[in-house]
Amino acid sequence: MLADSVADFTTRRSPVERMRRLKGAPPGYEKALWKEISELGWVGILVPSEHGGLDLGFPEMRMVLEGLAKTLVPEPLCATAVLAAVLLRNLPSGEVRDRLLSEMAGGACRPVVAWQEAAGSLELNAGGCRLDGVPGAARLNGRKQFVHGAAGSDGYLVSAMTAANEACVLWIPADAGSVKVEHLLMADGRQMAGLGFEHTPVVQEHVVATGLVAKQALERMRDAALIMIGAELCGVMRGAIDLALNHLRTRKQFGKPIGAFQALAHRTVDLFIQLQLSMAVVDEAVKALQRADDDRTTQLASRAKARCSAAALRITRETIQIFGAMGFADECDVGLYVKRAVCLSAWFGNATFHQRRYARLCIVGKQEAS
Amino acid sequence: MTSVRTVDYNAMAEDDFRSTARAFFKAHFPEHLRFIMRRMRWDDMKDWYIAAGREGWLAPGWPQEWGGLGLNPDKRVVYLEELEAYGISRTHEHGVVQVGPILMKYGTPEQKNHYLPRILSGEHIWAQGYSEPNAGSDLANLSTTATVEGDHFVINGQKTWTSMADDATHIYLLARTDKDAPKKQLGISFILADLSTPGISIRPFDNICGHTEFCDVFFDNVRVPIANMVGQLNQGWTVAKSLLSHERINIGSPRRPQYALKRLETLARSRGLFANADFVAQFTVIKMDIEDHTSLYGKYVDKLKRGEELGSDVSMLKIWITELWQRITELLIEVGDEWSSVEGQQAIDGMEVDILSPYYYARASSIYGGSNEIQRNVLAKYVLELPS
Repeated sequence: MLADSVADFTTRRSPVERMRRLKGAPPGYEKALWKEISELGWVGILVPSEHGGLDLGFPEMRMVLEGLAKTLVPEPLCATAVLAAVLLRNLPSGEVRDRLLSEMAGGACRPVVAWQEAAGSLELNAGGCRLDGVPGAARLNGRKQFVHGAAGSDGYLVSAMTAANEACVLWIPADAGSVKVEHLLMADGRQMAGLGFEHTPVVQEHVVATGLVAKQALERMRDAALIMIGAELCGVMRGAIDLALNHLRTRKQFGKPIGAFQALAHRTVDLFIQLQLSMAVVDEAVKALQRADDDRTTQLASRAKARCSAAALRITRETIQIFGAMGFADECDVGLYVKRAVCLSAWFGNATFHQRRYARLCIVGKQEAS
Repeated sequence: MTSVRTVDYNAMAEDDFRSTARAFFKAHFPEHLRFIMRRMRWDDMKDWYIAAGREGWLAPGWPQEWGGLGLNPDKRVVYLEELEAYGISRTHEHGVVQVGPILMKYGTPEQKNHYLPRILSGEHIWAQGYSEPNAGSDLANLSTTATVEGDHFVINGQKTWTSMADDATHIYLLARTDKDAPKKQLGISFILADLSTPGISIRPFDNICGHTEFCDVFFDNVRVPIANMVGQLNQGWTVAKSLLSHERINIGSPRRPQYALKRLETLARSRGLFANADFVAQFTVIKMDIEDHTSLYGKYVDKLKRGEELGSDVSMLKIWITELWQRITELLIEVGDEWSSVEGQQAIDGMEVDILSPYYYARASSIYGGSNEIQRNVLAKYVLELPS
C-alpha cells in the first residue's frame, strides 16, 4: 500500500519532467514539495513516535526512497530522513536532539548531517575537524565536504573530534553566521555543499553527544546510509530499465521493433539481472539493518553499495546505447538517469571503494587466518 | 517396493532435517567420491545409489507411496543444498528426476508399476534421447522418426549428447510421429525404449577433458511396443516440457562453482597471492558476485517455501552463476601461471590440483540445460515482454 501511495505521488506530483525543470537552479528542489512529503509522514518514517514520527522501519524507508528515485524526485529525503534521523535517534535523549527529531518529523526543521572530511574515505576524522576549548567556550575548526541537502537546510549535525580525541556530534544552526558555505552544483542538477568552520562558537547545549555513543551512532548512520542509497539506486535502475524497455518495444528500425533484435534483447536481459541482484542484496541488507545485526549489516552495507553503484552506472550508460543517438541528446530523459546514478554511486563510496572495504572486512584477514 | 515410512520429514524443523540428511549421506556416501569433478560412472556410484534408493533418499520429491521421501518443495531445496554441501554429484539421475515425475503425471498404471520401482532399485538406469546432430537448441527440429506398424513403433535416427548411455539400460526419447503436423512441436511423441532392443547401437565419445561422458545412440529399424509411449500420440513435446519449476532452481544453485572456487582459493593461498593487491581485487569481485547471487537465489528459495511456483525468471540464476563459474576458472588458470599448461593432476607448491578440468567443465555449464542464449531469449520474451 505504501508503495502504491509513493507511485501515485510521483505520477501526480513529481514525474521526471519536474527534475528536468528544477535542475541547476538552487536549491535544486522545492520547499513546497518538501512540505508535502513531510505531511505524508515520510520524513518521519524512522523518527520515534514519542517525537511525532511514524516510527516505522527500514523496509518502509527503503520503499519510499526507491519509489521516489524512480522518477528522480530531487528533494533531499535521504539526507534528512535517513542520515539525520538515524544519527539522532541513536544518540541519547536531550533537549536539542529531541527537539530536532520532533521538528524534523513535523516539517518545521530540516537538519542535514555534515560528516565527510575527505573524498574516498568513510573515516570520521579523515580531515581533522576538531572541537577545541573549554565547555561553554568551545570552538569548531575544520572543513566538511560533499554535504548533500545543505542548500536550504536549517542546520548541520556536524561530527568532529574533541581535544580528548573522542568523537562528538554538534548542532550548528544554518543561521549561526560563522559558517562558510560553498555550494556545489552536482552532475544531476541538485546541490551539495562544503562547510568551513573557523573558530565557530558551539554552545554547550549544542554538543549533542560525545564519546563512544556518538561514534556508534555515526557508524549506524553510515550503514543505514549505504543501504538506503542502494535502495535509491534501485529506483534509478528501475526507472532507466522502464525507459529502455519502452523504447525497445516502440522504436522501429529495419521494419521491426528494435527489441526483437537479439543483440539488444540479450543486453537488456543482462541489465535486468543486475537490477535483480541489486534488489536481492538490498532486501537482505535491509533485513539485517532492521534486526540491528551489526557485524552482518556492515558487510552487507558494502555489498549493497558496491553492487547497486556498479549496476546503476552500467544500466544507465547502456540505456544510452539502447536509445542510440537520441540517448546522447540532453532532451532525452536517459541522461537524467545517468547523472543521478553518477551522483548516488559516488556518495558514501563507489563500487571500487566498497569492494576494497569488503576485501578488508571479509577476505584478506580470513585468508591470513586460515 | 513401497515401504512404510514413519517419519514426516515435512513436519521436521529445517535444522533437524539438515542433520538427518547429513547423517544419511555420511553413512552411505563413500568418502573418496566427495567433491569429484568428473562424471561418476555407475561402478563408482551403484552402492550409494542402491542404498539411497532403498531408503527413499534417492528420490526426495517422489511421494512416499512410490518409495520417495515425499518432500515439499522447500525441503527438497534443503535436501539439494545438503547434497551439494556434502559433495555428492547427482549422476544417473534421469530416472529419478525426469522419467519418474513424467510417468507420475502422464504414465499409465502399468507403466508406473513397471518402471518406478525399477528406477529406485537401480535395475533400470535411464538415458535421455533428446538432442540430435541437427536438433540442439532447436530441439523441436528433431528428425528421428517413429512409424506405427501394428502395435509397434519402428524407430530410425540418431540421438547424441546422451550422457553415459553406455551405463544405461533404458532411454526415453522424443521422436517424430507426424511429419505433416502444422507446427513441428505437434508431431512429436515421448517413447521409452530398452537399450538392449535389436537395432540400437551406442558409440561413446570423449568430452573436452578427455573423459568419456557422452554417447551417440543410433536407431536402425528399432521395434518398440506402442504401449511404451507416454502420454498421447503427438503430445510428446508437452510431456517433455512438464519438468517442475523446483528442479529448475537447482541449475542456478550458488554452490555449483564451489569446486572451482575451492581450487582457486587453495592455489592462490599456496602461491601467496592474498598479499597481492591485484589478485585480491579480482578475487573480491568474484566473491561478492557469489554472495550477491546467494541473496538472489535465497529469494527464489523463499518463494518455494511459501508454496509458490517459480516463473521463467528463475532462468536468470542459471545465466549468472554459470558465467560466474566460468570467470572463476579463468582466474584459476591465470593463478596457475605456467603450471596451467600441464595436463592433468599435478603437485604445485605442495598441493595436488587439477587446474584445467574446472576450466573445461565450466564451459559446458552455459550450454546444457538450455544454452544461456536460449535462456536470455526466454527472459526477453516472457519476463521483459520484448517483441520477437
